[in-house]
Amino acid sequence: MSHEVPVRREVRRARSGWAGAAIGVGVAAFADETVFHQLLHWHHFYDRSTTDAGLVSDGLFHAFGWVALVLGFVVVADLRRGDRLSGRATAGGILAAAGAFQLYDGTIQHKLLGLHQIRYDVDLAPYDWTWNVVAVVLLAAGVWLLRSARSRTA
Amino acid sequence: MLHHTAPVVLIAVVAYETGTARLRRRGDRWPVARDLAFAAGGVVVLGAGGVPGFAGHMVQHVLLGMIAPVLLVLSRPATVLLRAAPTRARRRLKRVLTSRFAAVLVFPPVAALLEACGLWVLYRTGLYAATERNPWLHGVVQLHVFLVGVLFAASLCQLDPVRHRYGAALRAATLVAAAAAHAVLAKTLYLAPPPGVALADADARIAAEVMYYGGDLAELALAAVIAAQWYARRGRELRRTGAVAGSP
Repeated sequence: MSHEVPVRREVRRARSGWAGAAIGVGVAAFADETVFHQLLHWHHFYDRSTTDAGLVSDGLFHAFGWVALVLGFVVVADLRRGDRLSGRATAGGILAAAGAFQLYDGTIQHKLLGLHQIRYDVDLAPYDWTWNVVAVVLLAAGVWLLRSARSRTA
Repeated sequence: MLHHTAPVVLIAVVAYETGTARLRRRGDRWPVARDLAFAAGGVVVLGAGGVPGFAGHMVQHVLLGMIAPVLLVLSRPATVLLRAAPTRARRRLKRVLTSRFAAVLVFPPVAALLEACGLWVLYRTGLYAATERNPWLHGVVQLHVFLVGVLFAASLCQLDPVRHRYGAALRAATLVAAAAAHAVLAKTLYLAPPPGVALADADARIAAEVMYYGGDLAELALAAVIAAQWYARRGRELRRTGAVAGSP
C-alpha cells in the first residue's frame, strides 16, 4: 500500500460543461418531439411553408439530439467514476444548451425557415413570446452556472 | 416474401447456433445474448412484410434495412465463422474481411454514403415505381437494402474483425449525418411521394412518420453501442493509469 499516493484528481470543468451541453440539446430536442409533436399535437410533422434549409436544419438537430443525449450521459458517467465531474458546470451546460436550442428553434427554425409554428389556428404572438422568453431565461441561468463553476476552486 | 426467405433464415440460424455450440464446447465464453440477437434478427427479417401500401413498404424498410441489421451485427456473425470454421476456410475469410476492398466499404463515411445514396435513388427516381411492377427487381432492391443496412451497422459498431478501427468521434459524427439525411428524406416523402407513385394522403403521412421515427430507433441503438464501447475503453485506460478509485 505504501506506493499508493492519493492522487488529487483534477476536476474537468470544460468537459463537464460540454457533456452537459450535449445532454441539454438532446433533452430539448426530445421534449420538443414528445411534448409538442406527440402529446399536444401542437407542432406539425410537416408544414407546407417549410423551406429546404428548414428541413435540413430540422433533420440535423433531430439526428444530433439523440446521439448527443446518449454520448453526453456516458461522458458524465465517465467523469464521475474518475471523480472529475463538476456538477455545476454540467448543470450549466444542460440549461445553456437547452435554452440556446429552444431560442434557435423559436426564432430561426420556426420564424425564418418556416419549419412549423408552435401552434395552429391561434394568435401566435403570446406563444412565440413565451417560447423565446423561456429560452432566454434557460440560457441565462445556464451561463450563470457555467461562470460560477469557473470562479469556484475545485 | 416469407416463402423464399424462411429457408435461408432457418439455415442461417442453425449455422450460427452450430458455430456457437462448437465455441462453447471448447471453452470459449460466448454470451447467450448474442445468440438471442441473431435469432431476433432472423425473426425480424421474417416478420418484415404483410402490411399493404406505401406505409407497409416503409415498415418493411425499417425492419429489413435497419432493425434486423443492428441485431445481426450485435451477434458478431463473422467472429463465429472465423472461430468455428476449419483452418483453411478461416484463413480465406480472414483475408476477405481484412482486405483493402472490405476496409474501404466499412470506412464509416463510405458505408453511410452508400446507405443514404441508395435510399435517395430508390425514392427519388423511378426505381421505386419499377419495383412495384417487377417482383424480381423488388426482391433485388430488398436484398440490397438489407445488405447495405448490415454494412452500415457493421461499420459503426466494429464488433467483428476489421482492417482499421475508428474512434467514437468519427463514428458518432457519421451516424448523425446519416440519420439526418434519413430524416430529411422521410419528411420530403410526406409531401412528394416517389416519382410515378400515387398515394393517399394518410398512406404518405404514415409512411413518412414510420421512416422518421423508425430511423430514430436504429440511431439510438447504434449510438448506445458506440457509447458503451467508448465507456469500456475509457475504463480500461483509467484502470491502467490507476485513476479510478478502488483499482489496484
